[in-house]
Amino acid sequence: MKWVWVLVTVLSGTIGDLVSAKGMSLHGELDDFRPRGLARIMRYIVTHPLVAGGIFCNAIAFFSFMALLSVSDLSFAVPVTASSYILKTVCAKWYLNERITWRRWAGVVMVAIGIVLISV
Amino acid sequence: MQAEPKSELKNRIFIAIVVLTNAAGNVLLAVGMKQMPDFDNTSVMGYTASLFTNLWIFFGIALLVVWMVAQLSMFTWADLTYVLPVTAGGYVLTAILGKFFLGETVSIARWLGIALISFGVVLVSETPPHDTGDDQ
Repeated sequence: MKWVWVLVTVLSGTIGDLVSAKGMSLHGELDDFRPRGLARIMRYIVTHPLVAGGIFCNAIAFFSFMALLSVSDLSFAVPVTASSYILKTVCAKWYLNERITWRRWAGVVMVAIGIVLISV
Repeated sequence: MQAEPKSELKNRIFIAIVVLTNAAGNVLLAVGMKQMPDFDNTSVMGYTASLFTNLWIFFGIALLVVWMVAQLSMFTWADLTYVLPVTAGGYVLTAILGKFFLGETVSIARWLGIALISFGVVLVSETPPHDTGDDQ
């Protein structure tokens, strides 16, 4: 059962981040931090279908991670779900058209291995 | 297209906000959840009531909302593959907070993990925040 929660957590978290990053990138660079500007970006976040949908997917990831914690230890749940860093990087290349230079790849792999070492 | 954000300072401030609100929000939530009654021994209503009246949980969730909005804001000028590794410093912060405030022992493997994450963060933070392959 725990592998089902791992799968749901990793997949919905990956879809959530990709889709909400896409939605936010369609908005111009945020530069207005007056109350009116902040209200405008908040409205964009809750009304844009990609961003709101991404938040919904991340909420599913959050609750399935909680469910995973109820059937496994933190020392299993954290390193296993750290694999989502790799999946997100691979997917960002084709879905978000990001250029993954060797520096970024090396950084992402170091972070993922580091999370495993910290939590096991 | 490689583009720097209009302000490098803004980028750094947002990295700090994302890292700090995530680490602090998680710690507050963890403290609050430990005070919760045992799920099996309470009614759903009673459990929900104590969930919504626990101040630790309330402020934990509030901080995580700030974290989410700050991270989404960064996506308007930075790539996903820049933001995710660069804000992973929260893992390091949580481990260090655990050592100093909760008296947790930090094993050699854990120190190694902290060092690896830190190297990864530095490596990625030296790439341009926005780098799509358009010019290729």
